[in-house]
Amino acid sequence: MEIQVRGLSRRYFSEGREIRALDGVDLTIPANRIFTLLGPSGCGKTTLLRCIVGLESPDAGEIVIGGETVFSKAQGISVPPEKRGLGMVFQTYAIWPHMNVFDNVAYPLQVRGVARDAVRERVARTLEFVQLEGYESRPATKLSGGQQQRVALARALVAEPKVILFDEPLSNLDAKLREETRKELKAFLGKLNITALYVTHDRVEALALSDLIAVMRAGRLVEMGTPQKIYFDADTQFVADFIGRANLVKARVRAQEAQRTLVDCALGAIACQRRDLPVGAEVTLCIRPEFIHVAPGAGAGENVVNGRIESQAFVGESYESEIRAGGELLLARIEPHARLATGDAVHFRLDPAHGLLVAR
Amino acid sequence: MDRTRARLTYSLLAMVGFLTVCPVVMLALGSFSEGLTAFGRFTLDKYIGAYADPAFFRVMLNTALFVLGSSVLATVLAVFLAYLNTRTDIPFKGLFAILSIIPMMIPHLLFSVSWALLLNPSNGMVNTVLKGLFSLERAPFNVYSLEGMILVEALLDLPIAYLIIAPAMRSFDVALEESSRVFGAGPWRTLVRVTLPVLRPAILAAFILGVVRSLASFAVPQVLGMPGRVSVLATHIYEMVSLGFSPDYGKAAALGMSVLAASVTLIYVYRALTAESEKYVTIAGRGYRPTLIELGRARIPLFGAVALLSLAMIVLPVAVLLYTSFVPYTMVPSARAFSMMTLKHWTDVLNDPLSLLALKNSLFLAVGGATLGVLLSIFVGYAVVKVRTRAAGILESLSFLSFSFPGIVIGVGFMWFFVQTPLYATIWALLIAYLATYLPYGVRPMASAFVQIHSHLEESSLVCGASQLTTLRRIIVPLLVPGIVSAWILMASMFVRELTVSVVLSRPGTEVLAIQILRFSDDGLWGKLSALGIVMIAISTALVLAANFVGARYSRAVAAGAG
Repeated sequence: MEIQVRGLSRRYFSEGREIRALDGVDLTIPANRIFTLLGPSGCGKTTLLRCIVGLESPDAGEIVIGGETVFSKAQGISVPPEKRGLGMVFQTYAIWPHMNVFDNVAYPLQVRGVARDAVRERVARTLEFVQLEGYESRPATKLSGGQQQRVALARALVAEPKVILFDEPLSNLDAKLREETRKELKAFLGKLNITALYVTHDRVEALALSDLIAVMRAGRLVEMGTPQKIYFDADTQFVADFIGRANLVKARVRAQEAQRTLVDCALGAIACQRRDLPVGAEVTLCIRPEFIHVAPGAGAGENVVNGRIESQAFVGESYESEIRAGGELLLARIEPHARLATGDAVHFRLDPAHGLLVAR
Repeated sequence: MDRTRARLTYSLLAMVGFLTVCPVVMLALGSFSEGLTAFGRFTLDKYIGAYADPAFFRVMLNTALFVLGSSVLATVLAVFLAYLNTRTDIPFKGLFAILSIIPMMIPHLLFSVSWALLLNPSNGMVNTVLKGLFSLERAPFNVYSLEGMILVEALLDLPIAYLIIAPAMRSFDVALEESSRVFGAGPWRTLVRVTLPVLRPAILAAFILGVVRSLASFAVPQVLGMPGRVSVLATHIYEMVSLGFSPDYGKAAALGMSVLAASVTLIYVYRALTAESEKYVTIAGRGYRPTLIELGRARIPLFGAVALLSLAMIVLPVAVLLYTSFVPYTMVPSARAFSMMTLKHWTDVLNDPLSLLALKNSLFLAVGGATLGVLLSIFVGYAVVKVRTRAAGILESLSFLSFSFPGIVIGVGFMWFFVQTPLYATIWALLIAYLATYLPYGVRPMASAFVQIHSHLEESSLVCGASQLTTLRRIIVPLLVPGIVSAWILMASMFVRELTVSVVLSRPGTEVLAIQILRFSDDGLWGKLSALGIVMIAISTALVLAANFVGARYSRAVAAGAG
């Protein structure tokens, strides 16, 4: 089911100050895709999710789920959460501590008045789907974090909602379990024909899980696109910086070519990915550390940058090195067996496709 | 959703507002009126009469000494006990939990009476024994004195003070102390320079609560102060309205106004302090284990002191009452005393129509009042914790207000109200006044139970398609059962022993247990008093056991058959 959000605003008053958690958000979430809202904490992503599910009332705007208007300030419509027929996985899982696994999962069916046998059968099927068969009579609070997460997912899926919402569901797990659960979740969602709205502040999670990502900042939608588009081709400096580690260098557009844009910056004259920017415009050149492939010694040629290793930190899979080049300090990844030492002269050639220009 | 919540909040506001504001307003209006039958006719005579009375100065002085003395003593003892329990390797730590809970089950009135039986100057058992042992001319102790009152009141306020200080001490970050030790301070200096200052808000809060409670205390001054003619404000006000004298509710209200004002002010200071102390207590549960201080050679003597205190607070009062209920007249325990034991007092009391009526009334008030009170508390707790609008904030302040109500003063306020209504001299008047005075004892456990229910648990039920009502029934109420049980126990055991409000509002036909016991005490009928007192303690204990049993069964039933 498609979700449409139009002109949604939500204000809070905290200690006498007005906080705009949502500031006129327009958004269309296409049906049967995994859609992620990504942003730093306090950007309004959770508020937006809670408005869609009906746990918060916006101050203005409209929400339409699958053609049905569930909220409209202008028309005075506000469907309560229990009538919206959605599924949701909470950040804390919200597993009811006084019920066992079966009762937790059966709950959405029981409150809908589904017959006892059908409840049993559908709960069993859902538990099998999340690989928790045989856990029915366990007290829900005695499960591990990952298992509780799957109970929460089963509960959200059991009534076969057309939309399922996730509010940072992995943030309570430790790093290793988080990665496993993320893969599991992607596999589960891949098998279902369902619209999923996922909220997170973790960029890796967003990139790995989503079909589409919308990046939010200060109550507004900044940019939307596929993970690849957001990562390689961000339109704004904020998104480019937020979605991954990036070296940001101030630059000025010198000339436009058919395939490339040429800029001047502290690193010298650099050819970049083509962007429609006027000659002379002040821009930011964004280079991700993983695209800086350094080689020992000095080099020459187009897009070749010379520098010197200023510091190195061994982080396991690589060295994280800072390279001083033309007055700029660039972060780069160096292979662990490269045998380069602090103070060594190095150079690298930047592929124009990896030189991303964003407006300042 | 928001609209139903707003409607709920406003109707609660009306109910709680009536319960708490009505007696205060009536007290204020009454203090300016000429008399119960001439309500609203303005006069200042009552204030002049009450405050210009030559006896008033003596009463104020006694009150100040009694209140400050007992609060300081209770707080010092509580700090001592809390420190021993949380920070040292003292043996039998289970004793501390008993010490902090059980004394609350023993009504203040009976506690005072038992100390009178032990330490009164004419035939107190301890005094008689000591006189015989050391061939003394005069009794060594006189509990009918200001010192005696201070001691007994301090022991009564000790459990509450302990319950405030001990959790603060337990949840306080030991790293603060450890760093003091690392920088070269010894345990004693660390205690004085680091531990106590950090705990200051909690200690002050316990002290202020002690002041409020002893200011409102009626049982101790009535039982121990009156025989020695030591009057404090509470007993002074009672004299003005008690039936034997010529009652003057106007003067009582005029004096009550200043007691009430002092209590309300102090209770808001207390509230600010507890908020402050919660700010201090901000360690996250990182699974740390505080290092215990080894008491070494002091371990056994210190434990002896704690054991002695437990004996004085739990065993002695009950034992004395039980013993007195079986002997024909006051005598020191001996072979002869045991051979003379009789059930006469028990049969007398159980055949006394007035005692039986009091028993019936008290049971009705305890069960009915606690049930109504808990029902109201559930909604108030919900509104205060989960709704959080401005109206809910006012509701919280209002329900907290009655925490400061001195029973006798609020009784006088309600008297001015009930006399204008057909409720006067009915059991319903007592019920309403009980609810108003003891509402916080229901609201506080409920509020903390609601705090523990994460809002996600409730919201996920709504998202699953359950209505607000289903969510309340299937999610919230089952999770609240422990809170409900403890609120019910607390309120019912308060109501079964209620004395201070009843002493003003009870009329022939609406006597309650405590009133009947007080009557026996005034007449010196110690045997009958003890028998009825044991009945009262037994009811309190039975209530606790029954409520526990029901609570355990209910949560098991919910867990098993939720389908």
